[in-house]
Amino acid sequence: MATRSQTAALLVVGALALAACSAGGVKSSSAPQSGAKTLVIDTSFDLKTADPGRTYEPTGLFVGKAVYETLLTFDGADVTKPVPALAESYELSEDGKVLTLKLKKGATFADGSPLTADDVVFSLTRVRDMKGTPSFLLDGVEVAKTDDTTITLTSKAPNPALPYILPNPALGVLNSKVAKEHGATTDASDKAEQYLNSASAGSGPYTIESFNLTSQVVLKANPKYYGAKPAYDRVVIRNVEAATQKLNVQRGDSQVALNLSGDQVTGMPANLQVKKTASANVIFLLANQDSSVSKTTPNAKFVEALRKGVDYAGLLELAGEGSTQAPGIIPSQLLGALPQDQAAKRDVEGAKAALAASGLSNPTVKLEYPSELTVNGLSFQPLAERIQANLKEVGITVDLAPAPITTALDNYRNGKEELGLWYWGPDYPDPSDYLAFLPGKLVGLRAGWKDGADKAVSAAGEKAATTIGDEARKAAYADVQTKLNASGPFIPLIQPSQNIVTAASVTGLEYHPVWTVDLADLGAK
Amino acid sequence: MTDETSGTARPAVPEPSPGAPHRDPALSEKTLAARPRARRRRAPLARFLLRRILIAILLAWGITLVTFVLTNLVPGDPATANLGQRALGDPAIVAQWRQEHGLDKPLPQQYLIHLQGLLQGDLGTSQQSHRPVSQDMVETVPATLELAGAAIVVSLVLGVAFGVVAALRRDRLSDHVLRVLSLIGISVPTFWLALVAFYVFFYRLQITPGSGRIDPGLAAPPPVTGLATVDSALAGQWDVFASAVGHLLTPALVLALYTIGLLTRFTRSAVLEVLGQDYVRAARAKGLPGRVILFRYVLRSALVPIITVAGLAFGSLLSGTVLVEAIFAWPGVGQYAYKSATTLDLPAVMGVGLVVGGVYLVINLIVDVLYGVIDPRVRLQ
Repeated sequence: MATRSQTAALLVVGALALAACSAGGVKSSSAPQSGAKTLVIDTSFDLKTADPGRTYEPTGLFVGKAVYETLLTFDGADVTKPVPALAESYELSEDGKVLTLKLKKGATFADGSPLTADDVVFSLTRVRDMKGTPSFLLDGVEVAKTDDTTITLTSKAPNPALPYILPNPALGVLNSKVAKEHGATTDASDKAEQYLNSASAGSGPYTIESFNLTSQVVLKANPKYYGAKPAYDRVVIRNVEAATQKLNVQRGDSQVALNLSGDQVTGMPANLQVKKTASANVIFLLANQDSSVSKTTPNAKFVEALRKGVDYAGLLELAGEGSTQAPGIIPSQLLGALPQDQAAKRDVEGAKAALAASGLSNPTVKLEYPSELTVNGLSFQPLAERIQANLKEVGITVDLAPAPITTALDNYRNGKEELGLWYWGPDYPDPSDYLAFLPGKLVGLRAGWKDGADKAVSAAGEKAATTIGDEARKAAYADVQTKLNASGPFIPLIQPSQNIVTAASVTGLEYHPVWTVDLADLGAK
Repeated sequence: MTDETSGTARPAVPEPSPGAPHRDPALSEKTLAARPRARRRRAPLARFLLRRILIAILLAWGITLVTFVLTNLVPGDPATANLGQRALGDPAIVAQWRQEHGLDKPLPQQYLIHLQGLLQGDLGTSQQSHRPVSQDMVETVPATLELAGAAIVVSLVLGVAFGVVAALRRDRLSDHVLRVLSLIGISVPTFWLALVAFYVFFYRLQITPGSGRIDPGLAAPPPVTGLATVDSALAGQWDVFASAVGHLLTPALVLALYTIGLLTRFTRSAVLEVLGQDYVRAARAKGLPGRVILFRYVLRSALVPIITVAGLAFGSLLSGTVLVEAIFAWPGVGQYAYKSATTLDLPAVMGVGLVVGGVYLVINLIVDVLYGVIDPRVRLQ
């Protein structure tokens, strides 16, 4: 009989333990205290640092934009026209080599000290010379102060892209005195990163409260901010898987979810706002032009067969609403993008004809791509499978060769992929960023396209690089892309949709191709 | 609690002393056979401990070698994984990056530098955070230990309780129910369970809080132990404490379910085996109260297999946390390991390998020592 009472006792203990636990759960699920307004943003972290001079990843740029200010910025989502930020005006010389900026008066850092021309010169020089990831932004640009409120940026060659580069949060201005105290230098011996990962030495609307690369970043409103006070006192940016992001925002546990796929945002309840915009990421195929890598892909007729064989509409369907076809390598938001009517269309008969003309019979090619990479919630795996099926109809056998991104990158970077599926996001929203796709340039070489391989494309690129004036640049870059599409090894596919879900209370959100969202723009109702 | 039950709290009392022969009427042949050897157990506990610790040190060195070799066997270039597309086009940046991270040296030399650092307590510098890996560990390991610790406590309490109940009520309804439940616990994949639990309890029923360790609106308590529950209690921040406990609940239960299932099954069979022993029957025949039999004879004998399973289960808990942490956005070592692995942050990967390996070693050591404490015969082996 004692045994039975023992049993009962054990069961009671178990039940009590459970009850005690769940009671704790109920209590704590109450809303955060009122008073201070907290905004919770869920995103899949791509974050390496909070040091603006080393920032390159999407989450880093997002944080950097809130904490540091740059000389110029963009108004909302419009990246075709740089507008003043720390500089109140700017002027590019007629030869495109000298950019003169007048500093705004009254800007202060978070510690209350005034922001000076010396801080600007120090910060920009540091980015360029410490050889961090974003140092290419100012390659060959001399930074000097002419007087206390004037900065000049001088380039050896005409540099009409410079005003479009300056808004990059990597070029945020540091409080040079504080930064130097913590090891900042303008050469490779710089040691300020660890300090800048825990505190912020900027003049932006927010400062860093806590910073953790893998879990969360907490920002608080900068009490000394000289501009308009941001709407939220505290912003918590959490690293959350996309599936969990969706549940969190629906349940009201977060107010913004940044990384949902097209599928995930369908059927969202009416109390949430869904913003679907084509992202500035262009997904493309590359066909290697190096005959030592492939006997098949350097054949121009084969590339034509690829271009005509892909079912672009089908890829768009996979990518979901809001995505758009990429007519050229330059995304739709940027100056010089090709209009939609110039986008390639599927032509199975034409593709078969091109394949016949190539002299290759039943070619087999290996398609390499990063297996676990998702761009705007879109995975590369189904894209690759769809392309494989499309090309099978044309008579091209595609062997899929997915690999983890760290391994896949190696082959891509070294120009060893026969056929590759990759994407390019703009480093800065200027078409000159896309000159990397030309023969002998960064991405061109990855497709085995050596310097001098296509003189017409190279010449068009050189012309575009030095052209000044918006209208002339538009025409020059359109010409580069038309030529690239005609004879280049790249097949631009789609720009997947950036889907941002916000609570009804969040206002003023715009998708931005460089920093995703500007926290200072967000309002509350 | 009765004085009989308190006996389980100190199973260290090894064998019936010779001065109290009336206390062991139920000794089996097994325990009798062990008696002559008991005379040699003067020093053994200390020697046994020393031997175990020496083995642990050797194993620790083995772990450093294995983690180093394995991480450096991974195809892929850390520079490619860490630098931006544009920076990769600049050989000067790539070369500088490699030099900064000591990757320009030959591998054996890299290992020696690594080992030298380890001896000085330096786990290296993360390529990601540019901070000492040990500092990253101090921030992430407590979160995981809190999660795994809560899970193991819940598992031990419920698993053993369920196992005993099932054994005592063998072949009755409650036994069948518990056995089916334990089977489910063992066979359902943890990540799937985590997703379902998050969906049901957080989203549908709205009874548990969401991701992370505490509500985002609350400020973290001042770090003392790194455990959110303990730190908030120490600071007297009871709202934070409630939030921390609430956030801990679902992921810990999800993690515990497998271990509960395992422990239920092992406890049941261990208890059943002991119940069949002559000395238990004898004790029962003598009319000893049921709880005395249960706690003094049955549970104590069943403890060795239970501890073995609990020790092994703790290992599986640690690997289970990687997925659970991802789904519950739990800022622990699992997320850190995942991020380090995907960016080929080799010092961080090695650091995680060492710390997790170290935890295994410590758990194994504890289990071994507990064997020795519970069952003196083990010490002599």
